[in-house]
Amino acid sequence: MPKKPAKKPGIPSVRSVGQTPAKPGAAKKGAAKKAAAKKPTAKKADRPTLAQRADKHTLYQNSVQSPAVDIEFFEGEFAKMRGRKPLRMREDFCGTALLSTVWCKSDPKRTALGVDLDAATLAWGRTHNLEPAGPEVARRVKLAQADVRETRFAKVDLTLAMNFSYCVFHTREALATYFAAAHQGLVRDGVFVLEVYGGTESMSVMSEERPVRGNITYIWEQEKFNVLDHHTLCHISWRFKDESVLERAFTYDWRLWTLPELRELLLAAGFREVKFYFERVDGDEGDEFLTGTGEFVARTEIDNQEAWLAYVVALK
Amino acid sequence: MPRSSASSKSRASARSTLAAQADRHALYERAVQDPEGDVKFFARTYRKLRGHEPVSMREDFCGTAALCEAWARSSPERTAMGVDLSQETMNWGLEHHIVPAGREIASRVTLVCEDVREVRRPKVDLTCALNFSYNCFKTRAELLSYFTAVHAGLNRDGVFLLDMLGGTEAILEGTTDNDHGDFIYRWEQAKFDAFSHDFQCYIHFLFPDGSKIYRAFSYDWRLWMAPELRDILLEAGFSKVHFYWEKTDAKGEGTGVFYEPDYVENQEIWWTYIAAER
Repeated sequence: MPKKPAKKPGIPSVRSVGQTPAKPGAAKKGAAKKAAAKKPTAKKADRPTLAQRADKHTLYQNSVQSPAVDIEFFEGEFAKMRGRKPLRMREDFCGTALLSTVWCKSDPKRTALGVDLDAATLAWGRTHNLEPAGPEVARRVKLAQADVRETRFAKVDLTLAMNFSYCVFHTREALATYFAAAHQGLVRDGVFVLEVYGGTESMSVMSEERPVRGNITYIWEQEKFNVLDHHTLCHISWRFKDESVLERAFTYDWRLWTLPELRELLLAAGFREVKFYFERVDGDEGDEFLTGTGEFVARTEIDNQEAWLAYVVALK
Repeated sequence: MPRSSASSKSRASARSTLAAQADRHALYERAVQDPEGDVKFFARTYRKLRGHEPVSMREDFCGTAALCEAWARSSPERTAMGVDLSQETMNWGLEHHIVPAGREIASRVTLVCEDVREVRRPKVDLTCALNFSYNCFKTRAELLSYFTAVHAGLNRDGVFLLDMLGGTEAILEGTTDNDHGDFIYRWEQAKFDAFSHDFQCYIHFLFPDGSKIYRAFSYDWRLWMAPELRDILLEAGFSKVHFYWEKTDAKGEGTGVFYEPDYVENQEIWWTYIAAER
């Protein structure tokens, strides 16, 4: 066993790493854009700032979601594992239901059920995602303002829980109940997919920034991480070219679940097999930072890194 | 501190390397153990939680039973039972700790070669599992069965004490050296698998003449995280779980004084004690 090492308090563990590959809560898969040159053009006076005029849901969708990439990956893996095309999808913690909308757009036979607790966010999604998609698509997307642990919904081929939202469940019991409901809500050859982040930085206090479309900076902040219970308090903010900031537009009070915990709970909930897909990273040996490729590959073991992004795929 | 291996070194022959003359158990004790400090912390913690003195102590994964000796030596009423799977290591402990401690102390120490999950009697006030050895249980079911056995082997107001290792560097591969003058203690984390938390570690001892004891000790572990330990302890029947944290001085050095925090920010590497009340 190791020598009991001297603890190192006083060393602030706050770090700001701008170019790490898979960014917790942040990674837009496959997107590696160059930082836009920043012009501090502070416009005068009465005009509202860009932050005041911004819509946090639009910003969120542009910054952290890539539904088309997700869908392409999930349907490819589903076809490999099940030999057919998934048609019925449930999006848990769907928020604005962007993924559900893109799912139904991708094939006229597809249906989606988006489940979320927040009525206002669902309403935003109806106005900004479903309606613009046209009535033919919109009628195939159902939205339910409900707890994802409810079991009254029609069974689906594929249930997706993206953006780490299941981390709102802080206890094993609560997460086990959710996984049992997810299991019950799948057809016989159904598949459940969770998105997970981890690595040494995920367990630290830190913040990082990344440019996104429109000369905007996306800021992911891990304000707290408690090693005793793995509770983490995180925020998303955006900074605009007029230097105004939409401060902590989203706040997450999560328990950061580790891969072995997820695997154990999924198996206990009745899933027959649990697979892990890690994002492939590019870079030469000795590079300080590797770049996420947006491509996910199945792995049975993985050396830990500063930050990684993975999909957990559970087969019924 | 346990005895040093200096006496054997003084008889060094010209042909033999320092590694060949060294005793890995003695080096291990010097490098990683502090039984007197543990005894003080255990007694203080038990008193605080229970309001009276602990008498009987069980040391799981006891190895050379240095802690059993320190416990029995610390007070004439105290008894200690060491449990370990390695008879060879316990024999070393008998020869180097228990017998030299004298008949009176030795009469209050029992060493049992058995699986720690099998021992239920005699019931004790305090059971401890130090040096992270419970990490050898790699599945939740195994660790739960161990914690359940500990729970069953405690007196009604018994307390279970364990230590744990964590930090951002604890979940990476890497090597740490500690220079003890006549040898270097090298802790190697050869592998940490994020998928399973499988954790492969080694202890090597390096000597000034260039010789070494490569992989003097090997560990095939799962590194359990704090919330997992808490969850499993509660599931095993413990009523309350306490995490302690060492206070540090202005220079960041440990002071030997522990408190019970609600929130602890992560650090590169840390270890701490957990107490679980029956």
